[in-house]
Amino acid sequence: MTPSTLGAVLRRAALAGLFAGLAAALAALLVVEPRIDDALAIEAARSTSDEEPLFGRATQVFGGMVAAVAVAVCLALVVGVVFARVRHRLPATTDFGRAALLAFLGFTTFALLPALKYPANPPGVGDPDTVTERTVQYLTLIAAAVAVTWLAFLVHDRLAARPWPPAYRAAVGVAVAAVGYTALLMTWPASPDSVPADIPAALLWDFRLASLAELAALWTVFGLGFGLLLTPRRIPAATMA
Amino acid sequence: MAAPEVSVTAIRVPVTAWLIVAFALLAVFVLLQLNSTAFAEQIHEFTHDGRHALGVPCH
Repeated sequence: MTPSTLGAVLRRAALAGLFAGLAAALAALLVVEPRIDDALAIEAARSTSDEEPLFGRATQVFGGMVAAVAVAVCLALVVGVVFARVRHRLPATTDFGRAALLAFLGFTTFALLPALKYPANPPGVGDPDTVTERTVQYLTLIAAAVAVTWLAFLVHDRLAARPWPPAYRAAVGVAVAAVGYTALLMTWPASPDSVPADIPAALLWDFRLASLAELAALWTVFGLGFGLLLTPRRIPAATMA
Repeated sequence: MAAPEVSVTAIRVPVTAWLIVAFALLAVFVLLQLNSTAFAEQIHEFTHDGRHALGVPCH
């Protein structure tokens, strides 16, 4: 049976989100943390204050992994509700395909686009005085990207009235999204920060790639897990060749 | 008239389900975005590596 109630969908989304969070936490530990250590060493060499940090490094590494799991489960619940609401309108033939499509769009709007406009930075780069401004830029870009995605589907659905093959409508929808995303990246304001001179370019690049790898791990595992959990375990005997 | 590509039944989503969405987004905000209050400092420092790793603006 394919799930037909909101509760059944949300349970599967939450479980997939848990796996996605664990994958992201593993990526954080193995890929991101070594780069954070490099950045903290630069920050320490710069610092003249001997202010005691609130938490030790081990606690913060653990905290980062806990955050990844919690965020993944929360985002999974959001996608789960959206999935339930729009499933019958998504252009795919199976629940696996629909889940994969939503996860791909989630990665694009919540991770890839903000990463392109406001790339992740390791500790020791961001200016504390501009953090509110940068947070507003980051969140409004995500909100606008969600709106563009919605608009692309709206156009796609409107074209259903025409006697076009589905592929034509899909192509127009993708084009609307691509143009819309590009327009957002071009119009949103640049980050007010500049990177301090003592941060090596290679470290910045490696950190940004590592951050994107963690986000990709999160959304890939979520999409695959959610799709698999939505898929009936057995093919009904009548439909088998 | 183009036929729908695949017919699947719509899932009933009560308005209250959007409370789950709002709550989940609020939780993400508190975990990753909140700055500058005394209560936030504890969370901020605990999830600090996670903020940076997930690409959220920080310092």
